[in-house]
Amino acid sequence: MTSSPESDRAAAHQAAAPMAALSRRRFLKTALLGSAGLAVLAGGTFAVLRRSPVDSMAVPDSIRHLSHSEYHLFRRATEVLLPVAGTPLTPLSEVPVLAHIDAMMGLLPAHLRKDVSAGLALFDNAAVVSGWHGRRFVDLDDNAAVAYFDRWSRGHVIQRTLNAVIKQFVYVSYWRDPKTWPPVDFDGPVSDRWGIAYLGNAPLPDESALPQTVENRT
Amino acid sequence: MSTTSNRIEIDSAEMPREGLKVVQASDVTGDRLELSADVVIIGSGAGGAVSAYELARRGLDVLVLEAGPYVPSRDFTEDFTESLETLYEDHGAQANTDGDLLVLQGRCVGGSTVVNGCVSFRTPDFIFEEWHRDYGLTDFTSESMAPYFERVERNLSIQENRPHEIARHSMVLSEGARKLGWSVKPFKRNIRECALTGHCLSGCKTERKQSMLVTYLPWAAAHGARIHSDTRVDRVLSENGRATGVEGRVVDREGRHIADIRVKAPRVIMAAGAVQTPVILQRSGLGNDQVGRNFACHPSFYVGARYPQPIHPWRGAMLGVYVDEFMHPDNGGFVLEVGGLGIAELCMINEPGTGKPFVDYMQKAAHMAGIVTLIHDHNVGEIRWQGDHKAIHYQLSDKDFPSMMASLKAAVRMHLAAGAEEVFLPSSEALSVTREADIDGQVDKLVNKPQHLRMVSYHPQGSCRMGTDPANSACDPQGRLRGVDGVYVADASLLPSSLIVNPQVTVYALANYVADRVS
Repeated sequence: MTSSPESDRAAAHQAAAPMAALSRRRFLKTALLGSAGLAVLAGGTFAVLRRSPVDSMAVPDSIRHLSHSEYHLFRRATEVLLPVAGTPLTPLSEVPVLAHIDAMMGLLPAHLRKDVSAGLALFDNAAVVSGWHGRRFVDLDDNAAVAYFDRWSRGHVIQRTLNAVIKQFVYVSYWRDPKTWPPVDFDGPVSDRWGIAYLGNAPLPDESALPQTVENRT
Repeated sequence: MSTTSNRIEIDSAEMPREGLKVVQASDVTGDRLELSADVVIIGSGAGGAVSAYELARRGLDVLVLEAGPYVPSRDFTEDFTESLETLYEDHGAQANTDGDLLVLQGRCVGGSTVVNGCVSFRTPDFIFEEWHRDYGLTDFTSESMAPYFERVERNLSIQENRPHEIARHSMVLSEGARKLGWSVKPFKRNIRECALTGHCLSGCKTERKQSMLVTYLPWAAAHGARIHSDTRVDRVLSENGRATGVEGRVVDREGRHIADIRVKAPRVIMAAGAVQTPVILQRSGLGNDQVGRNFACHPSFYVGARYPQPIHPWRGAMLGVYVDEFMHPDNGGFVLEVGGLGIAELCMINEPGTGKPFVDYMQKAAHMAGIVTLIHDHNVGEIRWQGDHKAIHYQLSDKDFPSMMASLKAAVRMHLAAGAEEVFLPSSEALSVTREADIDGQVDKLVNKPQHLRMVSYHPQGSCRMGTDPANSACDPQGRLRGVDGVYVADASLLPSSLIVNPQVTVYALANYVADRVS
């Protein structure tokens, strides 16, 4: 149930919803005029030199839609956003979060996929100058990565948007998996499990017993 | 009335005990459909279904065209994420142009009535008075509309929640309201023998919710109405100032264009909802310059809070009680509705912080409860067809921002009075309140800018306003579109001003009212 094409597509649309309504023109204009845009422009001058150890790390063959850098961004974001180790919550190793994100990403409409891709690149690279980390997001340590997300949650409209989009992709991909439900007592679908009877269609109204509106009165 | 093993008969009408006869994309074999009818109705939700039944039982040949799919109740999955894909407009991602207001609407046979929370209010008196005062609508009063309300209330088994339908979240928050001395009441809902699954927003699998899918649509079909799903109307056709029909496309669930469709009909009833109805009219070049304007939507916050004790907000009837203390505009102009939610929604509505704060928050998911705020927003929005896509231009106006903040502060107070440990503010940044003395300081940090607030609209309305003055209304007081004969509007687009309460009963009543006047 958890990863049918229908639910993948819906989850993808939901996660990207804040971005879906920003037209490409508005997205670029906002990004370029905003502090995030300034950061990426500045960062862009040396982002090509700002290599990361993850650039040489492999991506699983099963990943079909995420680019190399997107995969590692979400891998790192998942670690930062869902530090479930040592809690009763389901371990990340048991939930295919990245596979879910990959499937969701593959179902986004082309124009939206393009904007999400640009936004993810912006988020990753802007860390070089935004907050003066000097490193891409994927290379930030846990505390710096958390602080980076929090700063974007308070930032310009495009920063707030990307903070929401990345978090929602990760959160939804984890929590839609039924394996994550028992530790929080979530029941999931219940009607068939509880054996609830189907009532069917309501009987046709008995018009003679209903108030008649003026024009209908016969 | 006679009953056979699988059919029910009343007079000459008969209907199946379950399911609905619908022509779907998979049933269409040719690449062109040519149909005719006395009346073609665009949309099968609250407005379309009631219109279809009322006109079909008068003997008119009725054809209902629904853009969304036909999903029988038994196929509902009770998985909210999956339901968004199959049952909601734009797969649940319909949003305003700023991207910070989700506009949730059903898009399936039965429309939003399939996925709503069953809450049933009559139109408040002060709203009728406003319509009279500002838009010249003298025909609409509580007394004149009473027969319409009574019909629909009886037909849809609308009744007040009984004690067992007040779930734990509603009981806890009722106590908070009482401590504050606020008026709190059980909702009325259109439901038979609620099974307390908490999955209203994913459709009622066992057909207890009295949505159009199991009431007016099968009743209309029993009187001969034909229903087509997967059928997107692009244009209303007209000649010499008179409607002649519609044209559109049959598109399957994978988005494949299966066939073109053209319907000849002298009467067209627009009931596609407050977003799609003006879009179709604009694409058709019909109506005056008010089509699409005056859009309102009840922007809502879902104000979540963590309690020391387990609440399990996904268990029991989803909507139990509401606070009407502030409903009248003179008292604040907002309503607080106590609502449950599931795990998928919970992880998206609040921003408790990054990393460990979020994990702590979700670990306590079973301890969460929530309040939905509704305000009487001004009609400041506009729906516009942009040539290749629709645009919902709606920003929370500065006139409405104080009401939103007042409703938020009241919701926080109610949570704290009910014993909440921490109330999360619906913002893009992590803001919360743990004691009453901090409410003003924290809430006043919120500003009315795009992407700062997390808002949802469940009630788009008002984009084809009815009224007596063509300068500020698209339709006349009988629901007739100005500028062309034979086109009627019978959905929430008609509402002259926002209702402040859940609009389904008002839409049912208005659709019945308009259907009575179709000539």
